[in-house]
Amino acid sequence: MDGGSAAASEIKEYNVSTMTMPVSPISTVAAAPARVRKVAIVLATGSYQREAPTTVLRLVEKLLQRGVDVNVWAFEEAVTLTNRDQIDHNEPGSLQKLLGEKHPNVGRFIDQLVRAGLHGAKLDWVSCILCVQERGVEKHQMGGAIIGTLGDLWKFVKSADRVIGIPTYR
Amino acid sequence: MARYLIVDSRDLTEYSGARFIQRAAGQLQSAGNEVTLFLIENGVIAARKGSDMGADLTALVQGGVRVVVDDVSCSARGIFQFADGVTSSNIDHLADLIVEGSDKVLWY
Repeated sequence: MDGGSAAASEIKEYNVSTMTMPVSPISTVAAAPARVRKVAIVLATGSYQREAPTTVLRLVEKLLQRGVDVNVWAFEEAVTLTNRDQIDHNEPGSLQKLLGEKHPNVGRFIDQLVRAGLHGAKLDWVSCILCVQERGVEKHQMGGAIIGTLGDLWKFVKSADRVIGIPTYR
Repeated sequence: MARYLIVDSRDLTEYSGARFIQRAAGQLQSAGNEVTLFLIENGVIAARKGSDMGADLTALVQGGVRVVVDDVSCSARGIFQFADGVTSSNIDHLADLIVEGSDKVLWY
Protein backbone atom coordinates (compact mmCIF):
# COMPACT_ATOMS: atom_id res chain seq x y z
CA MET A 1 0.00 0.00 0.00
CA ASP A 2 1.05 3.58 -0.64
CA GLY A 3 0.67 4.52 2.96
CA GLY A 4 2.92 1.70 3.97
CA SER A 5 5.50 2.66 1.41
CA ALA A 6 5.45 6.25 2.54
CA ALA A 7 5.92 5.21 6.12
CA ALA A 8 8.72 2.93 5.16
CA SER A 9 10.47 5.70 3.27
CA GLU A 10 10.43 7.83 6.38
CA ILE A 11 12.34 5.25 8.35
CA LYS A 12 15.93 6.33 8.47
CA GLU A 13 18.55 3.79 7.72
CA TYR A 14 21.28 3.83 10.28
CA ASN A 15 24.74 2.68 9.52
CA VAL A 16 26.41 2.00 12.83
CA SER A 17 29.88 2.50 11.42
CA THR A 18 29.07 6.06 10.33
CA MET A 19 26.88 7.12 13.23
CA THR A 20 28.06 10.04 15.24
CA MET A 21 27.92 9.35 18.93
CA PRO A 22 26.44 12.10 21.07
CA VAL A 23 29.14 14.11 22.69
CA SER A 24 28.80 14.34 26.43
CA PRO A 25 28.90 17.83 27.90
CA ILE A 26 31.67 16.45 30.05
CA SER A 27 34.10 17.03 27.20
CA THR A 28 33.73 20.75 27.65
CA VAL A 29 34.04 20.79 31.42
CA ALA A 30 36.25 23.54 32.73
CA ALA A 31 39.57 22.63 34.27
CA ALA A 32 38.46 23.28 37.84
CA PRO A 33 34.87 22.08 38.36
CA ALA A 34 33.04 22.41 41.63
CA ARG A 35 33.84 19.89 44.32
CA VAL A 36 31.59 16.84 44.38
CA ARG A 37 28.98 16.97 47.16
CA LYS A 38 26.75 14.03 46.35
CA VAL A 39 27.48 10.64 44.80
CA ALA A 40 24.99 8.03 43.65
CA ILE A 41 26.12 4.42 43.47
CA VAL A 42 24.12 1.77 41.65
CA LEU A 43 24.89 -1.73 42.89
CA ALA A 44 23.50 -5.08 41.76
CA THR A 45 25.95 -7.54 43.35
CA GLY A 46 24.76 -9.52 46.34
CA SER A 47 26.30 -11.16 49.36
CA TYR A 48 29.03 -13.70 48.72
CA GLN A 49 28.98 -13.21 44.95
CA ARG A 50 31.88 -10.93 44.22
CA GLU A 51 34.07 -8.34 45.83
CA ALA A 52 32.03 -5.36 44.66
CA PRO A 53 29.95 -4.85 47.84
CA THR A 54 33.12 -4.77 49.94
CA THR A 55 34.70 -2.27 47.57
CA VAL A 56 31.58 -0.11 47.66
CA LEU A 57 31.59 -0.10 51.44
CA ARG A 58 35.28 0.82 51.53
CA LEU A 59 34.61 3.65 49.12
CA VAL A 60 31.43 4.88 50.82
CA GLU A 61 33.27 5.16 54.13
CA LYS A 62 35.93 7.36 52.53
CA LEU A 63 33.38 9.51 50.72
CA LEU A 64 31.45 10.08 53.94
CA GLN A 65 34.67 11.06 55.68
CA ARG A 66 35.11 13.71 53.00
CA GLY A 67 31.68 15.17 53.68
CA VAL A 68 30.11 13.69 50.57
CA ASP A 69 26.51 12.49 50.78
CA VAL A 70 26.08 9.06 49.25
CA ASN A 71 22.96 7.42 47.87
CA VAL A 72 23.22 3.73 47.16
CA TRP A 73 20.59 2.15 44.94
CA ALA A 74 20.70 -1.60 45.53
CA PHE A 75 18.85 -3.82 43.12
CA GLU A 76 18.82 -7.40 41.88
CA GLU A 77 20.91 -9.55 44.26
CA ALA A 78 22.29 -6.50 46.07
CA VAL A 79 19.06 -6.29 48.05
CA THR A 80 20.23 -9.33 49.99
CA LEU A 81 23.08 -7.29 51.45
CA THR A 82 20.64 -5.67 53.86
CA ASN A 83 18.85 -8.85 54.84
CA ARG A 84 18.78 -8.51 58.61
CA ASP A 85 18.48 -12.26 59.10
CA GLN A 86 21.96 -13.07 57.88
CA ILE A 87 23.75 -15.14 60.47
CA ASP A 88 27.37 -14.75 61.49
CA HIS A 89 28.85 -18.22 61.13
CA ASN A 90 31.93 -19.46 62.93
CA GLU A 91 35.22 -19.26 61.09
CA PRO A 92 37.14 -22.55 60.90
CA GLY A 93 38.82 -23.23 64.21
CA SER A 94 42.30 -23.24 62.72
CA LEU A 95 41.75 -19.77 61.25
CA GLN A 96 40.04 -18.07 64.16
CA LYS A 97 43.30 -16.63 65.46
CA LEU A 98 43.73 -14.95 62.10
CA LEU A 99 40.17 -14.09 61.11
CA GLY A 100 38.36 -13.88 64.41
CA GLU A 101 35.71 -16.18 65.82
CA LYS A 102 32.82 -15.19 63.57
CA HIS A 103 32.48 -14.40 59.89
CA PRO A 104 30.63 -11.06 59.94
CA ASN A 105 27.91 -10.41 57.36
CA VAL A 106 28.11 -7.36 55.17
CA GLY A 107 24.80 -5.94 56.42
CA ARG A 108 26.42 -5.12 59.71
CA PHE A 109 28.88 -2.79 57.99
CA ILE A 110 26.14 -1.12 55.99
CA ASP A 111 24.28 -0.50 59.23
CA GLN A 112 27.37 1.12 60.75
CA LEU A 113 27.82 3.43 57.78
CA VAL A 114 24.17 4.46 57.78
CA ARG A 115 24.43 5.25 61.48
CA ALA A 116 27.61 7.24 60.88
CA GLY A 117 25.49 9.61 58.82
CA LEU A 118 23.65 10.77 61.91
CA HIS A 119 26.47 13.20 62.64
CA GLY A 120 28.00 13.97 59.29
CA ALA A 121 27.61 13.27 55.64
CA LYS A 122 24.63 11.05 55.03
CA LEU A 123 24.28 7.63 53.50
CA ASP A 124 20.92 6.52 52.16
CA TRP A 125 20.73 2.85 51.24
CA VAL A 126 17.69 2.05 49.13
CA SER A 127 16.65 -1.45 48.11
CA CYS A 128 14.53 -1.89 44.99
CA ILE A 129 10.99 -2.87 45.93
CA LEU A 130 10.54 -5.26 43.02
CA CYS A 131 13.82 -7.00 43.78
CA VAL A 132 13.13 -7.48 47.49
CA GLN A 133 9.70 -8.87 46.72
CA GLU A 134 11.02 -11.25 44.08
CA ARG A 135 13.64 -12.57 46.49
CA GLY A 136 11.37 -12.79 49.51
CA VAL A 137 13.40 -10.37 51.60
CA GLU A 138 10.95 -7.46 51.75
CA LYS A 139 10.05 -8.22 55.38
CA HIS A 140 13.66 -8.92 56.28
CA GLN A 141 15.35 -5.63 55.42
CA MET A 142 17.41 -4.19 58.23
CA GLY A 143 16.32 -0.98 59.90
CA GLY A 144 18.58 1.41 58.06
CA ALA A 145 17.62 0.24 54.61
CA ILE A 146 14.80 1.97 52.77
CA ILE A 147 12.66 0.12 50.28
CA GLY A 148 12.23 2.32 47.25
CA THR A 149 11.19 2.52 43.64
CA LEU A 150 12.80 3.38 40.35
CA GLY A 151 11.55 6.90 41.00
CA ASP A 152 14.04 7.10 43.86
CA LEU A 153 16.80 5.93 41.56
CA TRP A 154 15.86 8.62 39.06
CA LYS A 155 16.01 11.30 41.76
CA PHE A 156 19.34 9.97 42.98
CA VAL A 157 20.76 10.20 39.49
CA LYS A 158 19.27 13.64 38.89
CA SER A 159 20.64 15.10 42.11
CA ALA A 160 24.08 13.48 42.11
CA ASP A 161 27.29 15.19 41.06
CA ARG A 162 28.67 11.77 40.17
CA VAL A 163 26.85 8.56 39.33
CA ILE A 164 28.83 5.35 39.64
CA GLY A 165 27.31 2.22 38.15
CA ILE A 166 28.97 -0.91 39.49
CA PRO A 167 28.66 -3.55 36.78
CA THR A 168 27.55 -7.05 37.57
CA TYR A 169 29.31 -9.77 35.67
CA ARG A 170 29.74 -13.49 35.81
CA MET B 1 40.03 18.83 28.27
CA ALA B 2 38.23 16.61 30.73
CA ARG B 3 39.54 14.42 33.49
CA TYR B 4 38.47 10.82 33.15
CA LEU B 5 38.64 8.28 35.94
CA ILE B 6 38.32 4.70 34.68
CA VAL B 7 38.00 2.12 37.43
CA ASP B 8 38.59 -1.44 36.34
CA SER B 9 37.49 -4.17 38.73
CA ARG B 10 37.68 -7.10 36.32
CA ASP B 11 40.62 -9.27 35.46
CA LEU B 12 41.81 -7.77 32.19
CA THR B 13 43.10 -11.15 31.10
CA GLU B 14 39.74 -12.84 31.67
CA TYR B 15 37.34 -10.44 29.95
CA SER B 16 37.85 -9.57 26.31
CA GLY B 17 36.07 -6.28 26.87
CA ALA B 18 39.10 -5.24 28.85
CA ARG B 19 40.86 -4.49 25.58
CA PHE B 20 38.29 -1.81 24.93
CA ILE B 21 38.92 -0.31 28.35
CA GLN B 22 42.59 0.01 27.58
CA ARG B 23 41.84 1.34 24.12
CA ALA B 24 39.36 3.85 25.51
CA ALA B 25 41.89 5.03 28.07
CA GLY B 26 44.57 5.47 25.45
CA GLN B 27 42.34 7.24 22.97
CA LEU B 28 40.85 9.57 25.54
CA GLN B 29 44.38 10.51 26.53
CA SER B 30 45.39 10.98 22.89
CA ALA B 31 42.41 13.27 22.42
CA GLY B 32 43.85 15.61 24.99
CA ASN B 33 42.08 14.46 28.10
CA GLU B 34 43.59 13.56 31.45
CA VAL B 35 43.02 9.87 32.16
CA THR B 36 43.54 7.82 35.29
CA LEU B 37 43.09 4.06 35.08
CA PHE B 38 42.48 2.80 38.60
CA LEU B 39 42.79 -0.99 38.94
CA ILE B 40 40.96 -2.60 41.83
CA GLU B 41 39.76 -6.08 42.83
CA ASN B 42 40.72 -8.54 40.06
CA GLY B 43 41.72 -5.61 37.89
CA VAL B 44 45.09 -5.49 39.63
CA ILE B 45 46.08 -8.91 38.27
CA ALA B 46 47.01 -7.34 34.95
CA ALA B 47 49.53 -5.09 36.66
CA ARG B 48 51.73 -7.94 37.82
CA LYS B 49 55.32 -7.33 36.76
CA GLY B 50 56.39 -9.46 33.82
CA SER B 51 52.92 -10.16 32.46
CA ASP B 52 51.92 -9.44 28.87
CA MET B 53 49.05 -7.29 30.03
CA GLY B 54 51.45 -5.45 32.30
CA ALA B 55 53.45 -4.46 29.24
CA ASP B 56 50.28 -3.05 27.71
CA LEU B 57 49.70 -1.02 30.85
CA THR B 58 53.26 0.27 30.66
CA ALA B 59 52.58 1.39 27.10
CA LEU B 60 49.52 3.26 28.34
CA VAL B 61 51.62 4.98 30.97
CA GLN B 62 54.16 5.97 28.34
CA GLY B 63 51.28 7.49 26.39
CA GLY B 64 50.39 9.67 29.33
CA VAL B 65 47.70 7.63 31.10
CA ARG B 66 48.16 7.38 34.84
CA VAL B 67 47.76 3.73 35.89
CA VAL B 68 47.44 2.97 39.59
CA VAL B 69 46.50 -0.09 41.62
CA ASP B 70 44.59 -0.52 44.87
CA ASP B 71 46.96 -1.66 47.60
CA VAL B 72 44.46 -3.86 49.44
CA SER B 73 43.51 -5.69 46.25
CA CYS B 74 47.19 -6.26 45.46
CA SER B 75 48.15 -7.54 48.88
CA ALA B 76 45.11 -9.86 48.92
CA ARG B 77 46.47 -11.43 45.72
CA GLY B 78 50.14 -11.41 46.66
CA ILE B 79 51.04 -8.83 44.03
CA PHE B 80 53.83 -6.59 45.24
CA GLN B 81 55.78 -5.90 42.05
CA PHE B 82 54.12 -3.96 39.29
CA ALA B 83 54.69 -3.38 35.61
CA ASP B 84 56.90 -0.39 34.84
CA GLY B 85 55.08 2.88 35.31
CA VAL B 86 52.23 1.39 37.35
CA THR B 87 52.11 2.80 40.86
CA SER B 88 50.48 1.72 44.09
CA SER B 89 47.49 3.63 45.38
CA ASN B 90 44.66 3.13 47.85
CA ILE B 91 40.96 3.66 48.44
CA ASP B 92 41.60 7.13 49.90
CA HIS B 93 43.15 8.17 46.62
CA LEU B 94 40.18 6.75 44.74
CA ALA B 95 37.80 8.79 46.90
CA ASP B 96 39.89 11.92 46.28
CA LEU B 97 39.82 11.30 42.55
CA ILE B 98 36.04 10.97 42.59
CA VAL B 99 35.50 14.02 44.76
CA GLU B 100 38.03 16.43 43.29
CA GLY B 101 40.14 14.78 40.65
CA SER B 102 37.81 13.80 37.85
CA ASP B 103 34.95 15.01 35.71
CA LYS B 104 33.71 11.62 34.60
CA VAL B 105 33.83 8.25 36.35
CA LEU B 106 33.57 5.00 34.42
CA TRP B 107 33.45 1.75 36.39
CA TYR B 108 34.14 -1.48 34.54
